Amino acid sequence: MKIAPPLDLSVCIGKLELKNPVIAASGTFGYGQEFENFIDLSQLGAIIPKGISLSPMQGNSPPRIFETNGGILNSIGLQNPGFQAFAKEKLPYLKKIKTNLIINFFGKTQKEYVELARRLDSLDGIAGLEMNISCPNVKQGGIVFGSDPRMTYLLVSSVRKSSELPFIVKLSPNVTDISAIARSAEEGGADAVSLVNTFRAIAINIYSKKPELGNIIGGLSGPAIKPIALRMVWEVSQAVKIPVIGIGGIMKAEDAIEFILAGASAIQIGTGNLINPNTGIEVINGIKQYLLQNGMGRIRELIGLFKV
Amino acid sequence: MAIQTNGIVLKNIKIKSIYFLLEIDCPSIANETKPGQFVMLRTSDDNHPLLRRPFSIYKSHSNLDPRKGKRGHLFILYKKVGKGTQKMSTFKEGQKINLIGPLGNGFILPPLPSSTATILIGGGVGMASLSALGETLGFGELYVFIGGKTKDDILCEDNFPKGKVFIATEDGSRGKKGTVVDFFLSEIKRFDRDRPHHVYICGPEGMVKSLAKVIKSKKWIVQVSLEARMGCGFGACWGCVVKTRNNEMAYRRVCKDGPVFPLSEIVLER
Repeated sequence: MKIAPPLDLSVCIGKLELKNPVIAASGTFGYGQEFENFIDLSQLGAIIPKGISLSPMQGNSPPRIFETNGGILNSIGLQNPGFQAFAKEKLPYLKKIKTNLIINFFGKTQKEYVELARRLDSLDGIAGLEMNISCPNVKQGGIVFGSDPRMTYLLVSSVRKSSELPFIVKLSPNVTDISAIARSAEEGGADAVSLVNTFRAIAINIYSKKPELGNIIGGLSGPAIKPIALRMVWEVSQAVKIPVIGIGGIMKAEDAIEFILAGASAIQIGTGNLINPNTGIEVINGIKQYLLQNGMGRIRELIGLFKV
Repeated sequence: MAIQTNGIVLKNIKIKSIYFLLEIDCPSIANETKPGQFVMLRTSDDNHPLLRRPFSIYKSHSNLDPRKGKRGHLFILYKKVGKGTQKMSTFKEGQKINLIGPLGNGFILPPLPSSTATILIGGGVGMASLSALGETLGFGELYVFIGGKTKDDILCEDNFPKGKVFIATEDGSRGKKGTVVDFFLSEIKRFDRDRPHHVYICGPEGMVKSLAKVIKSKKWIVQVSLEARMGCGFGACWGCVVKTRNNEMAYRRVCKDGPVFPLSEIVLER
């Protein structure tokens, strides 16, 4: 009888090795602790808690969430307690989880981005950084840096100098050419790019004739955006040499495998966490099964196998 | 402690017009609940609708039949209004459904024994959590104000054998004609402003806002259970916030920091 060797699900994001390619996406995973009753957090490849800024932010006026066909429209507005409170109140718990902790951060100005990266670099227990230049809900959420290739380059290169940590840049899909932005991030020294953040969108209540969201415009996520996200991941993975992390409506292992075939080295689960806190674990198990069924031992063999 | 688990539908019956009662065998949640808490129920296995739906726990019966092992039944009172509740109304006996719960803080109960009155004010399916609360109240005077647009919207009126029940409908088809808030206002003299009566409110946003204007006593201990569109229900997404007078964090989560808040703490907008 032939005994199958153990499966190797590990992937590399620059110098950061993940035990598997499944990452909990920022903004959908609270600060980790919200999920402790539901899953063994240490099984995930990495956790990215809700994004932080230098100073506390109170977020947008409610209503902040609206369900659409196969999607969620949100305008949370980056509510967060700020760096200090995060480091004091949230980090001690997160550090204890036996997986990689990646911190998502953003600023209003280049100076703030650089300062925050520097401060995060000085903390223990952080495996990497994910820089948000793509929040659609806040004018100062970095989108200005994420929609112009030159601005992206300037920001990424200056932040790069202030931290040694593995450095991911999270891209917005609300641009004409996402590959150009990804290349700028690469040239600026990013170790990886993650995409996509949410799509700018609105919903109108036909009875009150008013917007369904307090902020009028929100970001669309969930299964509804998956085919567009997948196309973008495929294009970007051909445009850059650094690893690409795929995000967009992943609800099950099959979705994740599509992203990996399209060229993603890892994937993030966002909306799926809200509906089924166990989504990440189910995706990991589903990927294992797929590899076994296809006689593959390593997930790395699967990356970019999309045949066109 | 909230968990994610499967329950089995035992009964799913229409009680009147568009109101339904769902009974689920789900001991791990039913044995842990307290009044004012809720569950997030997945109404569909596919992504239509995508999000779970929040429902107050109407009743929970633990260990109904110890001979058959650990059992516990959970009851949900719901109104068929949208895609999710439409799907729910087709749930069949024996069907497996996925739940997360019990969630939220629940009501703070009045101290025992109490020399003050307990006043419950609710409308529509808001009566579900007040009914759960009413079941746990043992002593003292109990007053229950129930409102609705028509007689079909009056729920749970028989659930308060020890209480004095006041019913109001906007069309006058049952009880006093008018809103429950107007009815309460016309009876408010019964309750001394200077004594610490316990008031519990659950119902539509408009009703809560009107009550906030009517209740002037600073001595009353008023708790309100809020409704909100929710993303996750367990505090992760920050989608269901309400504005509060908390200086450090003005927007607090209805699902995790609530759904029950002191009336004096929340800022009702729009």
